Formats: sequence, C-alpha cells, structure tokens
Amino acid sequence: MKETLRLQYDALVIGGGIAGLQSALDLADQDFKVAVIEKDATIGGKMIRLSKVFPTLDCASCITTPKMAAAAHHDNIDLFTYCEVNSLDRSQGRLKASITQKPRYVDPDKCIGCRQCEYQCPVYVPDQEQGGFNLRKAVYIPFSNAIPQLALIDVEHCALCGKCAKVCPTEAIDYFQQPEDFVIEAKTAVLATGFKLTPMDQKKEYGQGQIPNVISSLQMERLLAPHGPYQRVIRPSDGKEPDSIAYVQCAGSRDLSLGISYCSRVCCMYAIKQAMLLSGALPLADITIYYMDIRAFGKGYEQFFQNAKAMGIEFVKAKVGRIEQGENHNVLLRIEEQEGDGRVVRREHDLVVLSLGMVPDWNPAGICPVGTGDDAFIKCVRPKLAPTLTEMEGVFVAGVAAGPKDIVDTIAEAGAAAMEASNYLNSSASGRAA
Amino acid sequence: MGKPDKEAMKALRKQRKAYIDRAQQEMKKQRKLIKAIKEQIKDEPKTVPRIASEAKLQADQVLLYVAALRKYGQVVEVDKDGDYFTYKLDAEA
Ligand SMILES: Cc1cc2nc3c(=O)[nH]c(=O)nc-3n(C[C@H](O)[C@H](O)[C@H](O)COP(=O)(O)OP(=O)(O)OC[C@H]3O[C@@H](n4cnc5c(N)ncnc54)[C@H](O)[C@@H]3O)c2cc1C
Ligand code: SF4
Ligand code: SF4
Repeated sequence: MKETLRLQYDALVIGGGIAGLQSALDLADQDFKVAVIEKDATIGGKMIRLSKVFPTLDCASCITTPKMAAAAHHDNIDLFTYCEVNSLDRSQGRLKASITQKPRYVDPDKCIGCRQCEYQCPVYVPDQEQGGFNLRKAVYIPFSNAIPQLALIDVEHCALCGKCAKVCPTEAIDYFQQPEDFVIEAKTAVLATGFKLTPMDQKKEYGQGQIPNVISSLQMERLLAPHGPYQRVIRPSDGKEPDSIAYVQCAGSRDLSLGISYCSRVCCMYAIKQAMLLSGALPLADITIYYMDIRAFGKGYEQFFQNAKAMGIEFVKAKVGRIEQGENHNVLLRIEEQEGDGRVVRREHDLVVLSLGMVPDWNPAGICPVGTGDDAFIKCVRPKLAPTLTEMEGVFVAGVAAGPKDIVDTIAEAGAAAMEASNYLNSSASGRAA
Repeated sequence: MGKPDKEAMKALRKQRKAYIDRAQQEMKKQRKLIKAIKEQIKDEPKTVPRIASEAKLQADQVLLYVAALRKYGQVVEVDKDGDYFTYKLDAEA
C-alpha cells in the first residue's frame, strides 16, 4: 500500500482569498514556512472576480494579481489548489490536516497553460466564472489571470473524445488521474474561508432566480469587468444596452424570513460603487437604488455616497415587495415607499440587481473543532480584544470567514491573524519547519 | 500521458458512460445552435433579437453562444443598431 505523503510546515492557511493570501505573505515574510490550501482551481477568492473596488475605484485585478503572484513566487509559501480539507485536528501539540487533492486530469508538472486543449474541445459548458453569461469548454483554465495557470477537465461534461490529449504539446492530459490524499502537519493555522452570496432563488417574491434580467451583484461585477462575458454592460436576456437599471438592497440580509438577521455590511457600498461604474459605462442610463437605509460606515465612505448622489444616481427609500417579469424582457417592481405617504407604486426597469447578502462558504462542523456563532460564521472567542482567536488553540480566523466585512477590514484582520499566529509560533516550544 | 492504452480507455468509457452520453447529446444540440447562428451572420451583422427571430431561437441562448463564439475568436462585434450591438462571423477565423 502506498504510504500517505506527510508534509511539515510552520503554518497552514485554509482559503486562498485575499485574507488567506495576506496572512500567508505576512507569515512567510517572517521566515515561517506556510502552506495555503484552496478548494478552487485558482487562488484569489472573490476579489480577483470583482471589477473595481470601493472606495478607491482601483481595478480589482490590478491590485489582487500582484498579491497572488507574490504568494505563488514566495520561497516560504506552497500553494495547494483544488484541494479538499477533510479534517483538522490537534494532537501532541501539532495540527494535522488531512487533505485530498482533487484530480484535474491534467499533469500539473507538464501543463504549460497554452489552452490548446480548450480551443479544440468540442463541448461548451456555462462558465460560472462569468456569472453563467458566457461558456467555457469541458477542459479549461478558469480565467486568464488564474494562478496556477493549469487546465482542468470537468469530467461531468467531458465526452472523452480524446481531442485534448491529441493536441496537448506536452502530453499533460491524464484521463486516469485519481484523487490523492496527503497530510499537512503544522503548528498553527489561519482559517480564511470567506463567504458565498445568499442564493438567488431563495425568495419567492423576487422571482426565485427565474427572471432573466434579475441578476446578482457578483454577476454585475462580471458585466462591469474589462474581461467580462460581453466586454460591456448589456442585459442577458437579449443583449439590449439597458436604459434603466435598479438595485434592490438588503435582498438577502436583515431578513428574518430567510434566517439572516444581520447586515452584510458591504452591499450598500458595492451597490453605490457599481452604480457609479454604470453611470460611467452607460452615461444615458437611469440608475436607481431602492434601500432601507444606507450604511456607509468606513473612512471616506459617506463622501463616496454623497458623490454618487451628486452624479445623479437616484436613491429611493422603499421596500421592494415583489419582482415580476414585465413586457419586452423588462422587470416590474412593486415598491412600498418609506418616505412621503408610503404609497405602493410599480416601477419598470431593463435590468435589476439583487444586493444579496453574505453567508459563510465553509462549515467547520465535523471537520475541525472550532465553533460558529448564531450567524454561522466562525466564532471569535475574544471579539473585542483579540478578534482573530477561535475556540481551537493556535487556530486563528481572518476575513469574511469571521463575519461580513470589506477588503480594508479583511486585510487588517488577516495581518492581525498572522501576527497572532507568529506569536504563537515563537512561543511554542518546538522549532520551525525545515 | 503518452498514447492511452485502448483497453484502459474502453473501461474508462464504460465507467463514465452516463456523463459521456449526456455530453454527446449536449454537443449535438450545441452544434446545431452554433450552425444556425453562424448561418445568420455569415454575410451581414445582426443584433441578437434579429438572429433569434430569424433562426427561431431564444434570444438569451443566442446571446450566450454569440458571447462564447466571440471569446473563442469566431465572431466579432460590429456597430450598434438602436439599443443593440450587431455581431458578424469573423472572416479571419
Ligand atoms: C458583489 C460584491 C462586490 C464587492 N465589492 C467590494 C469592494 O468594491 N470593496 C471592498 O472593500 N469589498 C468588496 N466586497 C467584499 C469583498 O469581496 C470581501 O471583503 C473579500 O473578498 C473577503 O475576502 P476573504 O478572503 O475573506 O474571502 P473570499 O474572497 O471569499 O475568499 C475565501 C477563499 O477561501 C476558499 N475556501 C472556502 N472554503 C474553503 C475550504 N473549506 N477549503 C479551502 N478553501 C476554501 C474560497 O474558495 C476562497 O478562495 C464585495 C463583495 C461582493 C459580494
Ligand atoms: S493541458 Fe496541454 S494543451 Fe491544455 S493548457 Fe496544459 S499544456 Fe496546454
Ligand atoms: S476529451 Fe473531454 S475535455 Fe478533452 S477535448 Fe474531448 S470532450 Fe473536451
């Protein structure tokens, strides 16, 4: 029987989004050996999939790609992408993570990322990296600045026609690859597993994801991104350049009927940001934000909101009661105004964006003994004085894994988690990994 | 991977039969759709609604495939016609 590979590190980071990468870089710069485990085929998390970021309106990819590259090229960091964490336990003073490398059906040591396989593959598959608004192939590289630049085969859509193997110049295709288990031992860990959006189909009143021109905020990020599905903002039902776009705030947050009582904190700001970007991309379009209250909580954020109002973006304090399919692919909203006489009015838009809330992407139950709070995010045991401490000794949390937050707070918390991990490493008896 | 062993490939095909059958059916539908779209825009650029109505296809499906054909270098965006952009088969492709 083949012996399970065991790898030794000082620190283990679970999640390769901006929080995990920042923690890994801060630890690696202090000369600790770090392993980053990422479940996706690429690192970068949500940030690499955004268009521009509030409050500076920097291009998200321009500031995330260098961080991704720095982690990939750092002598003290090893990236393990497309991996599943099966368990994380502590025994005899060390953390032990059991990991499964999922098969890419491509040899990572041979693939040069040339995409010849992708061009030749005859099967098209909806590309979730582009919000489902474009197609990829059954063999594909997730996106042009993915790290690592390795192809993978989606076997559920592969016709096993053999074309990719035939054209691959390095003989990297391996249809027979199997999952491989290995173990990582480390002294400390940072959990940076981030978030996902609340599902589009959860609210009957909002069309349950069945109205084509009602899209999620992350889908709008793709429409606004320079390498987006259409390379411009047009609506998905028929390619019309929209004249009228609306945002529905708190579409998955502050709603007890969905079991999500909390505010997701970033939705007001990302909606304002997207509205500003839209008025740049479509200067003639009317943009409306239906909101309960605007929470522009961070440094410079209130000014950002005021700038949006000055740009002509319409802010309507109202509750959106119902969203329905209208004529000519349009979307009908029934809204209850919260100012004036509180009338119920109907409004029609070409395209509607739901500002969905954030829920955790990972539930540690059954995998590692860290607790979660009532909101299901990872519980911090000293939320005021040491907000990155979890219930497990030597295991810290960073970013949205601990609760909704923006990039600025995520980066600050990732640095704090790295510092706690570094202190823990320096205080623990045994030496560093070789 | 060098040239895959014939017997091993046969066994793998059997193991993945359900996926392969589904992918082949998808491929057939996709080929038909792509052919119909390309036929529409080989001589003149058209908007998505026009391609859809003339080829009797759904507009969202047409846009999805036009986007994919653009990505893989077979279709180009041309001018705007009202609120819609027009697309044409790339003569170079
Ligand atoms: C539409 C939208 C727009 C936004 N715009 C802005 C903006 O303009 N400015 C701003 O400051 N903030 C913005 N945000 C918020 C921003 O996206 C987050 O603050 C940031 O991405 C949090 O980073 P993170 O690393 O904590 O989480 P994520 O980006 O979610 O990264 C987590 C990573 O962990 C991985 N992972 C999860 N579970 C596991 C597991 N079990 N094993 C291994 N890996 C795992 C995930 O695959 C992912 O790569 C926006 C959010 C949304 C939804
Ligand atoms: S698998 Fe082969 S053809 Fe595909 S990207 Fe890698 S090297 Fe290129
Ligand atoms: S074997 Fe599968 S992935 Fe490869 S080209 Fe054929 S359908 Fe595509």
